Amino acid sequence: MEKRLIKKDALAGIAKKMAGDLLVWAPVKREDNVLFDTLGKTDEPFFAYLNSKNAPKNVFFPHTETLMKYTHTAKGMVFSSEVNKADQSVLFGVRPCDAHSFALLDKLFDQEKYQDGYYISKRQNNTVIALACVKPPYASCFCTSVDGEPVGSEGADILLTDIGGDYLVEFVTTKGEKLAPYFGDSKVDAAADAKKSEIAVKAKEAITSKIPAHEVKPILDKNFDNPFWNTIHGKCLACGTCTYLCPTCHCFDISDEVKGSDGIRLRSWDSCMFPLFTKETSGHNPRSSQKERWRQRTMHKFKYYVDMFNAIACVGCGRCVMSCPVNLDIRKVVEDISKL
Amino acid sequence: MQNPYIPYPVVVDKIITEVDTKDIKTFRFKFVNPEDEQKYAYIPGQFGELSIFGKGESPIGIASSPTQKGYVEFTVQKAGVVTTALHEMEEGEVMGIRGPLGNSWPLEFLEGKNIVIVGGGFAFTTLRSLINYAIHEDNRKRFGNITVIYGARNPGLLLYKDELIEWGKRTDLNLNVTVDKGDATWKGREGFVPTVCKEVAPSKENAVAVICGPPIMIRFTLPVFFELGFSKENIITSLEMRMKCGIGKCGRCNVGSKYVCKDGPVFSLAELDKLTPEY
Repeated sequence: MEKRLIKKDALAGIAKKMAGDLLVWAPVKREDNVLFDTLGKTDEPFFAYLNSKNAPKNVFFPHTETLMKYTHTAKGMVFSSEVNKADQSVLFGVRPCDAHSFALLDKLFDQEKYQDGYYISKRQNNTVIALACVKPPYASCFCTSVDGEPVGSEGADILLTDIGGDYLVEFVTTKGEKLAPYFGDSKVDAAADAKKSEIAVKAKEAITSKIPAHEVKPILDKNFDNPFWNTIHGKCLACGTCTYLCPTCHCFDISDEVKGSDGIRLRSWDSCMFPLFTKETSGHNPRSSQKERWRQRTMHKFKYYVDMFNAIACVGCGRCVMSCPVNLDIRKVVEDISKL
Repeated sequence: MQNPYIPYPVVVDKIITEVDTKDIKTFRFKFVNPEDEQKYAYIPGQFGELSIFGKGESPIGIASSPTQKGYVEFTVQKAGVVTTALHEMEEGEVMGIRGPLGNSWPLEFLEGKNIVIVGGGFAFTTLRSLINYAIHEDNRKRFGNITVIYGARNPGLLLYKDELIEWGKRTDLNLNVTVDKGDATWKGREGFVPTVCKEVAPSKENAVAVICGPPIMIRFTLPVFFELGFSKENIITSLEMRMKCGIGKCGRCNVGSKYVCKDGPVFSLAELDKLTPEY
């Protein structure tokens, strides 16, 4: 595949130029946070960020999304599907862990049977440009334990790596290559390639937080009833912050909203950490306490997803670790499981 | 490709109040667009999402059999927001149904075998679908003896009363209806489902038991079948969970690595043993 070199300070200009032609999602400062948002004319992309507060999964799987609209008419109820063909868009400058999460979400939403058109249309019409982590953004980053790499391109169409004064631009897919004209025509020499390889190795070594993510699968297979599960959830507030920020969490609710004679059916993010998530009308709740919910979340990421798709549903971004209000740490949980 | 989140519009064609307490009704739906009936081709044991605009959706087993052409039926207990709204609907109103969803009763596995169908209370709906399918003239020869054991708390709570009378007249169906406690006019059998299963004592030879009922009934019925020598592979049941999307995505009905909505709701006891006990 093609490669290019661009000057470091040219990146924001390229994103803005692209935003003139396409819908561009880029990291922007919003109040105290850096978030991925659509780049407006007055917005300045902020590529010197560590990682965004929220995972950018909302680009393909919005917090709230209309599934269908309906209206009461004299002839009765009329309703219509809401899968509009998504605009061509670019997700500019996501971290490799978040790009990796899209490859994982694809496995669920883009299965052979029951294709999720809402997710797929947005994903297919989007080009993901990843921005490599030449230094680990946070001490809590652990991507290398869950099949990720700080300078990795899994789930991305283009990978940008800071190799000093320049960014090395690697077009990973043909979809990515279509955006090549935005990146000029400076050829890449062997030295730039070598430099990138060297940076990639160093970046990987710099990720010092490690968890035995692969090792726990056979242990989880056998320890559904282990008393260990009684020991994690005690201080959990069931706030759902972990699942809200998680790049791979994808549970949702479906609800109706009515205004006059019109209405919409929505899906919105939901959380397996919420007590009502599985509660049935009869009052029966298969996951009746926070213990079962913590077990579900842990098992879903490190066992169930592996059973279903042969992939761990965690990308090691560390958002759940950093933002948990009571300092529950999935790394510690996995570590403890490995010792069962 | 059909968007799996969008329901087919249906007209409420007929509403039948099934029980004395009036909180269980059978709803017969006809498709607004006749071509949708073809797309809704289902197998007994599958379920659908009943969709009432402005209220939401509720996952309910399909109570009619695919041999009944021109309509689909669901028997629904009034319980939550959606089912209460459904119970307030009138014939002629338009709503939606999604599906058919989930796997089904294992018809191919049942073929050539004797079938023992055990149902309790309100959980008889998809079993009714299976019975009507199996006794249909096109299908009856594909199955061996069919034994049905069906119980309710009292005579007023029996579903499909007219059909029970018709089935009772058949010589190719061994029907055993029981109530926990009869009333002044009840001339039939009295006794709990597990006891009746013991009395009827269906043979395990070339037989499969299909059991659906409240947890308490299941708990006492299973030992009877184990004693009769039925293996866990030959006992089939159906699970209920809170299912929203119905297509294995929204994450509510995970039982271990399986989604009840997509991989179930029908499982053999042998399969259930491999699942985590979280249902």
